[in-house]
Amino acid sequence: MKSIEVYVSGFFILVGGVIFWQAALLPYNSQYGPGPGLMPIWVSGLMIILSAVNLVIAFKNKGTQFADLIPQGTGLINLLACVGSFALFMLIVKYVGFTISSILMLFILFSRGYKWYWGLGMSIAVTAILFFVFSSILGVPLPVNEFGW
Amino acid sequence: MESLGYLLQGFETAGTWANLLLCLIGVTFGMCVGVLPGLGPTAGTALLLPLTFGLPPVSAVIMLSGIYYGAMYGGTITSVLINTPGESASLMTCMDGYPMARQGRAGSALGIAAIGSFIGGILALLVLILVGPIVAKQALKFGPPEYFALVVVGLSLLIGLMGKSLLRGLIAALFGFALALIGMDPLTGTIRFAFGMEELEDGFEFVSIAMGLFGLSEIFITAEENLNAQAQKPPKIQNMLPRREEWGPSIKAILRGSGIGMILGLVPGTNSVIPTILSYTIEKKVAKDPSRFGKGAIEGVAGPETANNAYAGAALIPLFTLGIPSSPSIAILLGAFIMHGLTPGPTLLQKNPEFVWGVIASMFIGNLILLIMNLPLANVWARITMVPFKILLPNVLIIMILGAYSINNSMFDVGAMLAFGILGYFMKKVAFPLGPVLLAFVLGKIMETSLLKSLTIFSGSFIPFFQRPISATLLVVAFAIISISLYFAYKEKGIDADTEI
Repeated sequence: MKSIEVYVSGFFILVGGVIFWQAALLPYNSQYGPGPGLMPIWVSGLMIILSAVNLVIAFKNKGTQFADLIPQGTGLINLLACVGSFALFMLIVKYVGFTISSILMLFILFSRGYKWYWGLGMSIAVTAILFFVFSSILGVPLPVNEFGW
Repeated sequence: MESLGYLLQGFETAGTWANLLLCLIGVTFGMCVGVLPGLGPTAGTALLLPLTFGLPPVSAVIMLSGIYYGAMYGGTITSVLINTPGESASLMTCMDGYPMARQGRAGSALGIAAIGSFIGGILALLVLILVGPIVAKQALKFGPPEYFALVVVGLSLLIGLMGKSLLRGLIAALFGFALALIGMDPLTGTIRFAFGMEELEDGFEFVSIAMGLFGLSEIFITAEENLNAQAQKPPKIQNMLPRREEWGPSIKAILRGSGIGMILGLVPGTNSVIPTILSYTIEKKVAKDPSRFGKGAIEGVAGPETANNAYAGAALIPLFTLGIPSSPSIAILLGAFIMHGLTPGPTLLQKNPEFVWGVIASMFIGNLILLIMNLPLANVWARITMVPFKILLPNVLIIMILGAYSINNSMFDVGAMLAFGILGYFMKKVAFPLGPVLLAFVLGKIMETSLLKSLTIFSGSFIPFFQRPISATLLVVAFAIISISLYFAYKEKGIDADTEI
């Protein structure tokens, strides 16, 4: 099992690589002087080199392992509840509107610390207040369902 | 004298009922952000940024600035009472503030911190009034090459101060820079790295990156650590003033802290952790009995707290006069300026004096509000530290979603915030600094524009950068900073001061 830093360095090399490849398709010089590819080539090139150096260092050092990084037990469930409820909100908001998505998301999160009926009550209350503030007072066009909420 | 006249006009602008109310909302929200776990000044300011879209620019920035310096005050309370810094600039306050609280002297620690913060903040604002117009006047002589060189110095300092994390700091800064390249090329208008996505044609939204990297990642980490943790009951606060014999050393520490904070605030690329560490180190060095430090020495609270707030005020000088942010929180203010159609830089003082002086005047008022809030109302703030995270987390999360959505009324920005939140979570776990990502994202745009303009003027040659005295000096300074940092990183003697989170 490699150190987590190996994967982080790999991520930066990948990002740098994609930018470098795309930048290589852009003109380096233009009619007036520097072209749109000049900065991206240099930035991504440097990013690849430095991330590669960090990768070599990460291979040599023991560093943080995946097992140390990801929490266990309740901590992991709490983290998954946060990310999962957020992702769920994003997936369904287009179809069911802000109100239902928000209640569902908040219910998942409040249920981690309170009995389900308290969680549901708080979710409905918070959603109603925020819907009123953002939609009616601030005039933000929130995504809504066919009933208008 | 001219500045004084403008300042009086500024008080007229800031003194309207609407602006006074927004200033009060800003500092109160900032105090809450500082006191409560899970959000720092950067995320807190970013959180309210979308809500200011409907406000006039001066009112919006008055409120956002209030959050910024309010959070600086608020972080002290948790440091002293429960040994948990609300934001990283208050880290040093824990060293002596918490031992003082354990000795039943929490009131004195908070009192001297509030007084020091007030004095530091006000002195920094006076320097801003005196120095700001002079710097802005000189900066008017700056062309694109000088701006490019100045940004290089700022980024060098930011990365150079990473100490042992120099390599990671450089990678993080380059990543931020790469993010800034997405969207339209500043000279030719060519769309770059949008991968066919319409939303990316204008690049990533600053707020999505700031809230994701700083706010969301912190929420994920706090959630896994202590979602159901019982809040620690803070001690009762009595007697807010120091003992008679403590006033002398405290005032000296406050004055030294003010000087350190103001000087470092002027340097683009530093962050508020550095002046607090420096102030604490100096206080310990000049103390007659250094062994008291770490056991409840009042100078250990007075110095760093003053330095922190003096820095916060002075850091506005490079922002107002050069358009260069010193820290991630200031970068959010820069983002607010741009979103409200203002161009930070030397022309800001000339073109929008009512805006600049209105904001500066509001800071005097805000600092006074904070002093009142902190001295007689300290017990109220102490009780806020007891709000359980299991209530806070869902509320903060949904408000962040709404904040990100409100920028363009688009779920794309919310998705981007989630992606940057997950990335920030992993980066924090492996101690990759986040500050350089955000600052390089902001400075990257300025840097590319000024570099491309310069190269167009110089017909593609780099040599004229070294033929112009200001740009040449600045580039040599940047080279020296990086070289010295590399040397210390090699020796592993650098200050390991990650930027504020």
